[in-house]
Amino acid sequence: MKTWDNIVKISRSVNDGKLSAVDLVNESLSLIDASHDYNAIISTIKKRALERAKIIDNAVKSGKNMGRLAGVPFIAKDNFLTFGGETTAASNILKGFNAPYQSSAIEKLESEGAICVAKANLDAFAHGASTENSDFMITKNPHDKDRVPGGSSGGSAASVVLGLAPFSIGTDTGGSIRQPAAFSGCIGLKPTYGLISRSGVVAMASSTDCIGPMTRTVGEASLLLDIMSGRDSLDSTTIDKDSLGYITLDSDIKGKKIGLVKEYFDESLSPDIKASIDDMVNKLKTAGAEIIDISLPILPSALAVYYILCPAEVSSNLSRYDGQRFGYSYKAANDLNESYSESRALGFGKEAKRRIIIGTYVLSSGYYDAYYKKAQLVRTKIVNDFHKAFKSVDFLLGPVAPTQAFKIGEKSNDPLAMYLSDVLTVAPNLAGIPAITIPIDIKNNLPVAIQLMAAQKNDRKLLGAAKKIEELV
Amino acid sequence: MVKLSQKDILKLANLAQLKLTPEETAEFSSELSLILDYVSQLDKVDVKGLEPTYQVTGLNNVTREDKKIDYKLDKKLLMENLPSSKDGQIKVKRMIA
Amino acid sequence: MINKNKYLYKGYLPTIGIECHVQLKTKTKLFSGIDNDARDAKPNTLVSHICFGLPGSLPVLNEEALVLGSKAGFALNSRPQRNSHFDRKHYFYPDLPKGYQITQFEAPIVLGGSVKIVVNDEDLVIGITRAHLEEDAGKSTHDVGKDYSLVDLNRAGTPLLEIVSEPDIHSSAEAKAYARELHLLMQYADVSEANLYYGNMRFDVNVSVSKDDNLGTRSETKNLNSFKSVEKTVDYEIKRQVDLLEKGQAIVQETRGFDDSKQRTFSQRTKEDAHDYRYFPEPDIPPIVLSDEFIDSIKLSMPIMPDAWRASLSTAKLDSAQIELLLESEIENPSVSYLSVINQFLDKPEELKKIANWIINIEIPLRKEKPSLTLYDDSVRSKQYIEVFKLLNSGDLSSNGTQELITYLLTSEEEIIDVSVFANKKGLTQNSNKDELGDIVSKILADNPKAVDDIKSGEDKVIGFLVGQVMKASKGSANPGLAQKIIRDQINSL
Repeated sequence: MKTWDNIVKISRSVNDGKLSAVDLVNESLSLIDASHDYNAIISTIKKRALERAKIIDNAVKSGKNMGRLAGVPFIAKDNFLTFGGETTAASNILKGFNAPYQSSAIEKLESEGAICVAKANLDAFAHGASTENSDFMITKNPHDKDRVPGGSSGGSAASVVLGLAPFSIGTDTGGSIRQPAAFSGCIGLKPTYGLISRSGVVAMASSTDCIGPMTRTVGEASLLLDIMSGRDSLDSTTIDKDSLGYITLDSDIKGKKIGLVKEYFDESLSPDIKASIDDMVNKLKTAGAEIIDISLPILPSALAVYYILCPAEVSSNLSRYDGQRFGYSYKAANDLNESYSESRALGFGKEAKRRIIIGTYVLSSGYYDAYYKKAQLVRTKIVNDFHKAFKSVDFLLGPVAPTQAFKIGEKSNDPLAMYLSDVLTVAPNLAGIPAITIPIDIKNNLPVAIQLMAAQKNDRKLLGAAKKIEELV
Repeated sequence: MVKLSQKDILKLANLAQLKLTPEETAEFSSELSLILDYVSQLDKVDVKGLEPTYQVTGLNNVTREDKKIDYKLDKKLLMENLPSSKDGQIKVKRMIA
Repeated sequence: MINKNKYLYKGYLPTIGIECHVQLKTKTKLFSGIDNDARDAKPNTLVSHICFGLPGSLPVLNEEALVLGSKAGFALNSRPQRNSHFDRKHYFYPDLPKGYQITQFEAPIVLGGSVKIVVNDEDLVIGITRAHLEEDAGKSTHDVGKDYSLVDLNRAGTPLLEIVSEPDIHSSAEAKAYARELHLLMQYADVSEANLYYGNMRFDVNVSVSKDDNLGTRSETKNLNSFKSVEKTVDYEIKRQVDLLEKGQAIVQETRGFDDSKQRTFSQRTKEDAHDYRYFPEPDIPPIVLSDEFIDSIKLSMPIMPDAWRASLSTAKLDSAQIELLLESEIENPSVSYLSVINQFLDKPEELKKIANWIINIEIPLRKEKPSLTLYDDSVRSKQYIEVFKLLNSGDLSSNGTQELITYLLTSEEEIIDVSVFANKKGLTQNSNKDELGDIVSKILADNPKAVDDIKSGEDKVIGFLVGQVMKASKGSANPGLAQKIIRDQINSL
């Protein structure tokens, strides 16, 4: 596994002319090539990446500073629309789709000199928690090829851990950054909802979709959040970034109150994970943090809320994949209805179909109030309970998932069991609050991680505490 | 417990323009019943006096000026992505008899 | 309560509700900064990733749509709602790129309202249920004999206001009057170009008939784009439905189209394949909360609406045909305003009546005939009209001269400020100087002794001949009324 320098150092070297962006891109591409048996990458953007690298090298030669990410290669989950190659969301229905515009997040990274070299595998349309739902291939856990890397941003997580590029970006609708970060062993940040523009990212569940960085260090995640965050005129749900930015962090934990969420430590939690978290909690105590036991009784309902709202929005957002304007189209159709129903039948994988059917059901007339509306009401309770909790504590701490990375195939025939993998991650998405995964241990040759949450828009504070935990590991 | 029959599933599939195989229909019928059973735990949650949360940002009135925007869209790619076209139009199976 | 009897057709009471889609006059589309005017554009050239419904595209609301929607609220005798939001309405159709239409279902921008109409001199009030903002679909064409359709998304995303009436309409005449009045209202409120030819206003007409107090099964005839087709559709549907019922057959709830060439409606699809639209609040657009300041500022910005004009103009004794002609003419050519001239005289009934008549009888026909005519500022035209009025009142201008003078003023290539000097120069003023005229009359009487005798012996009509002689001698500048009076005076004193 390649160990890249910190991206701050890389870009400084590129701006100083000591490192060549072309060399960096070539290195990343050859690493990708060498580790193809992990199935982390769907496609590379070689031509465009090298072109951009050359432009950066030339500009540096003429004395220009090319930005805070000058020449830094990165890998984007394949649900970010990018120039220079296909964007598939790991689905057959988008195979062959060449995006005519780029996602805002990629644009912002590029404006600081970063270079997207490849697109990472995911559960098709980000529907899943293992990357087994990719229509193309199953990504393997960097620590154990028989295990899943987590999902849906499994390819992005594996890429960072395998060192294919210094960082990657992913999306998190119900845990899709944090859970693979925990399973594969990297930092995974889900910022406050709205902090990073969703424009140009294949939508899953619009009201909880978040974009975030996946890195090896908290500092790098902070830099990337600083670059990608803020209002975007192309996304009406974006919010202003913190006036202080996210670069300089306050990592002093002394006197800070950390709540241990009772509901997150029930009997389903693996004892190994529990023991690792206990160790970290003790270290935090020693470092001066005040540890408080806290209960949010509504949390067990969060998954049920999520598995109504998410499929509802999914069924709506997937309506545009109809074989008429882009992507897969069933050519042998006799009429319009057949063109629709066959294009969608052949283009969507089973999980997409499953969610479309559930979503269609909970939105259909006669059931809307009982399911969709009821779920949004319970969501209010979740929002309120978090709000109340953050009045008494600065952070909430718990595991990311009840278990470490599971075996490939272990849950793929049981959708409900797979959905339960999200049980500890969905609540922050429903409430829109920031949460981060920090690896804290290795057990059974697999990473163990914790999840830290903060109040809405307290991303800066969250990153500060995460940095402290990183130091304590 | 809510049961979704195969007929119910087919009706939903029809609404969603999704052709399902008999196997998928059978599978979804039993799985969805399980999932609906799981989410029925919400029935017990008291939500009296609460308003639904459709969005979490607290934003409102997010608008743009009535001005043209150059989105820098690659129009050539846009048209090349069309599965079928004719004279710059999107060609689809006949919409009306 | 309505008087049902006058509406009955073979014993059935027709009930009609109308949904009208009004295209808002914004520069860009409802959710993307793309040119709204697709009239002369090649297919799929006025599109963005948003109009195309590409993956990852997000709607961003055009603020002007909120302004125009709010204005429409006041025009509909209502006011915009403080809280509204957008919803998604799902169905599959090739002209609907996202597989859902962004519309307002739960909380529209306008709730309630009314439109006043006059039919057969009777005032009626048609209730407005709601008016909501939504995006238009693309345009599709279906060449005869082909197995395909072609879709152009230039129109996709154009902002519409859908105005839904209560089922308060009971005849084709009322339906037509309602459609016409909506058309006026939308133009006066400056909400829409309301060009029917370009489909800026499209009517969906719901018709049912019933013998009792329960509403019958309705048909919905969609996409009518003229008042006449609205009227014809209602007539046709009432007759069709009653005939079916009389034959003992049932009405099918269905969507119908109108065939212009055959002047009849035809079945498009029945409600069997009706959609379950699965509405839910649009998560990509934050809700709308209009402030009191905003709503008040819209209210203040509202122009004088047709009903207010009707009230003012009828106090000036204009009849309703004249008033309606003025109201219609006002919007026929957006670059000419007649009412803004008339507006200057609202507190002077005498002037108002005269000038309104001149505008109706002289200016409007003239501009129709010569659309390229130079248009002078409203203030200039107002001044000219008041000058003409003064000249006429003082007797310096004849009625015949008036028409000629106004025509000159309107067609002149240069702006004429001093109207009386101009009228003099053109020889349009009449001579009302008694001494001067007296001299001319004395001379004419002396030259025509026989005519003088005839008049004296009672053949009074000969006086016309003498007046003619005076006009001739004065080269047409004499005031004929005054000339006649002097002739009589001189003959009597002979």
